[in-house]
Amino acid sequence: MNDNKILFNTGSLDDLSQEVAKLTDNDESKLKLSPDNADSGLAKLVLTLIELIRKLVEKQAMRRVDGGSLTDEEIERLGETLMKLELKMEELKKHFNLTDRDLNINLGPLGDLM
Amino acid sequence: MEKLIYALMSDYAKSGHLASLISSAKGISDSSLYVISGGGLNAIVSDVNKSEFVADKSVAIDYANVIETFFTHFSLLPMRFGSIMESPEAVKAMLENNSPEIQQNLGKVAGKFEFGLKIICDSEILKAKLLAKSDFLSKTEKPSDGQTTTSVFRDYVNKKLAEHRLEELMLAHVETLIAALTASLGSLNSINKFRKMLTDNTIVDAIFLIDKEKKSDLIDLIAEIQNDNPGLTFFLTGPWPPYSFVDVTIK
Repeated sequence: MNDNKILFNTGSLDDLSQEVAKLTDNDESKLKLSPDNADSGLAKLVLTLIELIRKLVEKQAMRRVDGGSLTDEEIERLGETLMKLELKMEELKKHFNLTDRDLNINLGPLGDLM
Repeated sequence: MEKLIYALMSDYAKSGHLASLISSAKGISDSSLYVISGGGLNAIVSDVNKSEFVADKSVAIDYANVIETFFTHFSLLPMRFGSIMESPEAVKAMLENNSPEIQQNLGKVAGKFEFGLKIICDSEILKAKLLAKSDFLSKTEKPSDGQTTTSVFRDYVNKKLAEHRLEELMLAHVETLIAALTASLGSLNSINKFRKMLTDNTIVDAIFLIDKEKKSDLIDLIAEIQNDNPGLTFFLTGPWPPYSFVDVTIK
């Protein structure tokens, strides 16, 4: 970017570059399928979708807890379910040698998944 | 040979000035530029061999620079990078078939520039500040039967609930900031688009379409809002061609 395009700036250009890079350099989130990595490539795609759904479920659940509409028993059950889902995801990520960054996708106006 | 299209403008554009710019400017790979007209519109194009066209970063920058050369002089609609048509006739037909929609978009951006604003924070510091101001997170879900000990599952819910509430606090803070920006920008008659919470640190990514002569008013206004939010970093950039305000589906 030309310096004369920056009209007002209260930070360092390094900060800006880093943030722009985060928004544009999403190499880890790309699906790279090839004959050699068909298993892990597919696992990455599937786990990303599962993680997206898990996060949405968790968010909705917290809204319900916050809204006070759940009984004690329901909260206990919810906690157990969410905890087991998270542990299972960790297991699967470990099994396929994937990290949170690998499963991150940009959801456009909603920001990053993770 | 195929035609690479850079931008569209009204054919009312001063022809003498346009002709001199066309003859002095160069397209990508040092190609010659020329104009194809149709439907009351001009398209700035250059010859390109589609099979040899490389859509890499440096070509994209060259492409953007061609658009920049013209947008400071004329109201135009920048084309998406890599817009290629097979012949001059195809370009002319595209202009004629889409003329009303393109003219309408040109009317929207006439005499205006696009500006971009990124508001960046240190998310940990901002979260700590918001937490200090709020007792929101101290309310955890306790069993209603008076038990004092909680289970591991309830602790887990409480942890997730705290994270959820902190996110909601951040979101509310960002919404307030956007509301302040929108209210202030009202005086500039701008068209605004906002995206929020793009990363942990980039909490607002805004674009504005504003009259050319209001550029300095915009800078003053952003400086004022920054003064009210000393913990946030503001980057205002521009003027840009109206990349984010073109809404034409080519038929």
